[in-house]
Amino acid sequence: MSQTSNQLLIDVGSTYFKVSTNDSIEQHFRDFNKDILDDLLHHCGATINSFAKEDVYICSSANGGLNTLIIGVSNSFSLKYATNIAFNSGINIIDTILYQNIEGYSVPSDLIDVVIIVGTIDSCAGMFGEDLYQYLGKLEYSNIVFVGSEQDAATIEQNIAKVVVLPNIIDNKLHIVEEHLKQYLTNLYQQDIEGKEDIKHLYDITSNQIYPTPYIVNRALPQIDARYSVVNPFILLDIGGATTDIHYSKDLVDDNLVTTNEFDRLVFKKLGVYKSKQSLIFTAKNNEFVYELLMHLKVTENIFDEQSKKATKILMQLAIFLVLCKISHYRKAYINLKFLTINSFVLTGGITKVLSVAEIEDIVGFFYKKILTSEHRPVVVLDSNYDIWTLGVQGDQSCQ
Amino acid sequence: MKVVTGVVGNDIHVVANRLIDLSLRARGFEVFNLGVNTYLEEFFDAVVETGAEILLISSLNGEAEGWGREVKALKAQYKNLDDLIMMIGGNLVVGSGKAEDIVPRYKKYGFDLVCHQVDLNTGLDTLEAFIQERNTP
Repeated sequence: MSQTSNQLLIDVGSTYFKVSTNDSIEQHFRDFNKDILDDLLHHCGATINSFAKEDVYICSSANGGLNTLIIGVSNSFSLKYATNIAFNSGINIIDTILYQNIEGYSVPSDLIDVVIIVGTIDSCAGMFGEDLYQYLGKLEYSNIVFVGSEQDAATIEQNIAKVVVLPNIIDNKLHIVEEHLKQYLTNLYQQDIEGKEDIKHLYDITSNQIYPTPYIVNRALPQIDARYSVVNPFILLDIGGATTDIHYSKDLVDDNLVTTNEFDRLVFKKLGVYKSKQSLIFTAKNNEFVYELLMHLKVTENIFDEQSKKATKILMQLAIFLVLCKISHYRKAYINLKFLTINSFVLTGGITKVLSVAEIEDIVGFFYKKILTSEHRPVVVLDSNYDIWTLGVQGDQSCQ
Repeated sequence: MKVVTGVVGNDIHVVANRLIDLSLRARGFEVFNLGVNTYLEEFFDAVVETGAEILLISSLNGEAEGWGREVKALKAQYKNLDDLIMMIGGNLVVGSGKAEDIVPRYKKYGFDLVCHQVDLNTGLDTLEAFIQERNTP
């Protein structure tokens, strides 16, 4: 894939970083004892130094994202809409509280980066009361935003210090309104990146804004089916070291979310093959089909204790299977995709360097046969040269 | 008054749904129409989000029979819905059945008003009479 001019594109992940020039793309395992910039310069110092700061574009998912708590009044509307906006803004860690049961929820001990309060359309008033303020009084958080009924905004402002009030994310037809909260969260993510010591140093080598990687991938999606052998509707799996991101066509969900986005994003925060390896194995052991899958792959569960290339391959195959289970009817998640209408599976991230198309097709086939009892087989496309990410970064430049 | 309406379950009878929407509006109700293929939880969630006083569920293919059994248990999980007027109408059984059997069954499920194969205007007249009676001290 060609880049429009001589530019250096860098993606800093939780496990690997990727460096792409017009002529080459390289990938390096991160050294966690080193500062990210030192590590980058150690591996590709000559390349980086040959580019002017304005020609270097960086995105990162390595800071783990913002820790978010959403308090809403219903699962189908306020919590669902706010979760959707948060995922699409690049946020990975999301916990939710159904307001009517707030007294039954324990108070998280960790500092919450942002609390989102949402509920009811603008013609309603008086939804939130003393129990909310008491809960928030026990909670440690850095930012708080209210995106509920405009009639409740004044009371909320009186009772919650430093609350930011934005327009309601639910309009009077019960439709989602994304733009204000999305912009707020993307800006917060940006400030978070800039505040992280490790990431902050990356501004020594670029004069451009550093974006969250999922945000970059998401913006490339509308162009994918025109540029690759991908047929809509498709899902894109980005299985990384710490998390697994899924980007999916809206056509794959029967949903009350009516937006202008063609694609949505979902994250499984503890499904990765390096940083989250133990959590992945734990999830696998609790899945009744996994032992059958291991037999199918001709290995035993001892593979979980091995440190080998083969073990990494198996873990990645397991990750694909577990993620597909989580978004199918088998495990009811935030969404259930219509798997029988998917035409293409696109895989990107570190997984493309380890697994072949045939190995992925094998797992996808196993999933369709065992979980969906179907012979349907979507086409598997590997983005092994990080073209999707490159496309996203370039799209971003053209918008600047 | 605010009304949440829609067709329950895997039922795509959109024309009836549209007629209900238009007729309610013509009678001065503020309507939140969730459309076809609506799950039970979405109905109650919409009531919470809109502050609706009435929930009017319709069913044409008889799916209501299965979903209706869940109504009481699900509603009990919501706080502050005790005053909600619950109405259901359409064709409420698969195959044929007698209204005198069907109506008490649905009332047991938790509906205040049950209209099995009753024409739309008669059903909405019943709703208005019920509201008036409830509001009379």
